[in-house]
Amino acid sequence: MKIQNGYVHLVKTALSDFRRNKVRTILTSLGIMIGVYSVVLLIALGLGLKNYIEGQFNSMGANLIMILPGSGFTGEGGAGFGGQGTVGGVSFDERDLNTLERISEIDYIVPIVMKGASIEGDSDKKFGYVMGINDDAFKLMNVEMEYGTEFTKTDIQAATKVSVIGYTLAEKLYGNPSDALGKTVRVNDQRFKIVGVAKKKGDQQADGALYVPFRTTYASINPDKKFWAIYLGIKSDDILPTVKAKAEEALLKRYKADDFAVTEQSELLNSINQIFGIINMVLIAIGSISLLVGGVGIMNIMYATVTERTKEIGIRRAVGATQNDILQQFLTESLMLSIFGGILGLLFASLSVFAIRTFFPASVNLLAVLVSFIVPSAIGVFFGVFPARRAAKLSPIEAIRYE
Amino acid sequence: MISLQNVSKIYSLGEDIVNAVVDINLEIKEKEFIGILGSSGSGKSTLMHIIGLLELPTSGKIILDGKDISKLTDAELSKIRNKTVGFVFQSFNLINRFTVLENVLLPTKYSKERTPQDFTEKAMELLKRFGILERRNFYPNKISGGQQQRVAIARALIMNPKIILADEPTGNLDSKTGDEILDILKNLNKEFGVTVILVTHEHDIAAKTKRQIYIKDGKVVEKYL
Ligand SMILES: Nc1ncnc2c1ncn2[C@@H]1O[C@H](COP(=O)(O)OP(=O)(O)OP(=O)(O)O)[C@@H](O)[C@H]1O
Ligand SMILES: [Mg+2]
Repeated sequence: MKIQNGYVHLVKTALSDFRRNKVRTILTSLGIMIGVYSVVLLIALGLGLKNYIEGQFNSMGANLIMILPGSGFTGEGGAGFGGQGTVGGVSFDERDLNTLERISEIDYIVPIVMKGASIEGDSDKKFGYVMGINDDAFKLMNVEMEYGTEFTKTDIQAATKVSVIGYTLAEKLYGNPSDALGKTVRVNDQRFKIVGVAKKKGDQQADGALYVPFRTTYASINPDKKFWAIYLGIKSDDILPTVKAKAEEALLKRYKADDFAVTEQSELLNSINQIFGIINMVLIAIGSISLLVGGVGIMNIMYATVTERTKEIGIRRAVGATQNDILQQFLTESLMLSIFGGILGLLFASLSVFAIRTFFPASVNLLAVLVSFIVPSAIGVFFGVFPARRAAKLSPIEAIRYE
Repeated sequence: MISLQNVSKIYSLGEDIVNAVVDINLEIKEKEFIGILGSSGSGKSTLMHIIGLLELPTSGKIILDGKDISKLTDAELSKIRNKTVGFVFQSFNLINRFTVLENVLLPTKYSKERTPQDFTEKAMELLKRFGILERRNFYPNKISGGQQQRVAIARALIMNPKIILADEPTGNLDSKTGDEILDILKNLNKEFGVTVILVTHEHDIAAKTKRQIYIKDGKVVEKYL
């Protein structure tokens, strides 16, 4: 009862004091406001970027195992389609496909032939990626048709000269993507009839690709009959470690351990998450500097307030306030100032996030909200404690005589 | 109730040493009405602060209700100031950012008992008794000195203290208003049995008390000059 009564009094007096000194209160909490604003906004942007990338990954289907040359993903460059992220190692071929086919848990095996090439339309030529794949690839990589159809198993077996064109590439070559259907494109000396136009995925490489049956590339595009990578698709997460182990074992009969890597999406995601973790830390550090400056501002104002209220402190001590009561009074005030700044910062940051949402998937998460309350609280206590202690330590009589 | 034994207070201002209170022995019983009389700088206020536990003596003992207060913590001393003692100062010492009623209720914020409602009723009662009830929502700088001193007395009484310590409570008031304040203090002692210790440098004011103590250069003397 006492504590409640006391606290209500403290909070009420602090509030009425803020109301009396509106301008000072707002100016004082400005530092914290800007600090929290930047931290929340930075978290929101980092989170948005992460969401964006994860979205890109998810578009590739969930349970994907990638067999890549070299030691796999090195942390730079695009994952999945790009060849840049890998170093050294071997190229795979149809023998490996046969080896892997013996692992019964695998649902899809997709060889990936990948060549950057100049792709010629009727009148125009553009740079794009020729992707030699099989029919399962469409399911595994979630490539759906906007117009026309996918090529089939028969096309693969017969090495038919057909292709599915990425949406952006079709747009670049023919203006209207639907016009691409039925046209013929040329890569090196090979000609491919376009039977399908893929839906836009928002992934530059996928949208700029020309998908062709992998055996068809064995002519001039890929005379060595080699694959850059092999993707495996499985039905459920549970068997992922088993399948990985089996694939590794099977391939070790032919290659050295350093020459290839069996990785899964989540590993790539982990590396990306790590990178974003670091970026987030840096951004938070920048925001912290504003918070620190804000904290010093609060400390400064609190020292001034203690001096201004010296007589009041003496009076309160005379009517029974303990040193601790006085300490609490000033701590409450600095805490409230600081949290007030935090709430304003969160508010403005949320408005900003709302505004940029239309073109960037930024979002305010629980972490941001917690940060905007916990961090100012810590700052309020830390920077408030020095002036509050000075107030508490004042001699009652000297304080009451102060004019 | 309170006894001071060989109490001294020495202030040192760098090189200078001020013997504000020198070896005072004093016995104050319940329901007394005492005047402490002395010229300016004689140490009256210092003595009063020591009796009210606002300041600790440099040497000597203070026994309150049989307990040596030198062993008490800040919290315990504060509790006694809150519950047992009420101060009335020459310069009123109200908090200007609080209303009259809030000022009267201030000591209750540091009390450990009762609910706030009880206190508000009690505060209204006191303000009514002193004829300033309709000023309860005014700020101290909007009422007269005499009214401010009544608020201060109401504040001193809100916790039902056993002792009221009044340091020249009429010093800032004209004689008529001053007399009204003195009558209030006199009544408190007579009707409610509150011990009142009145500090003053005026003979005729001290004459209204039942017992006088004369102070000179920090010492208790037989006769006031
Ligand atoms: N905090 C202090 N530091 C140093 N000296 C002090 C302090 N407080 C009081 N004194 C000195 O102690 C002496 C007694 O002061 P005190 O205020 O008790 O006198 P007083 O009798 O109340 O005087 P007045 O009637 O003018 O109020 C004075 O000489 C004063 O200068
Ligand atoms: Mg004095």
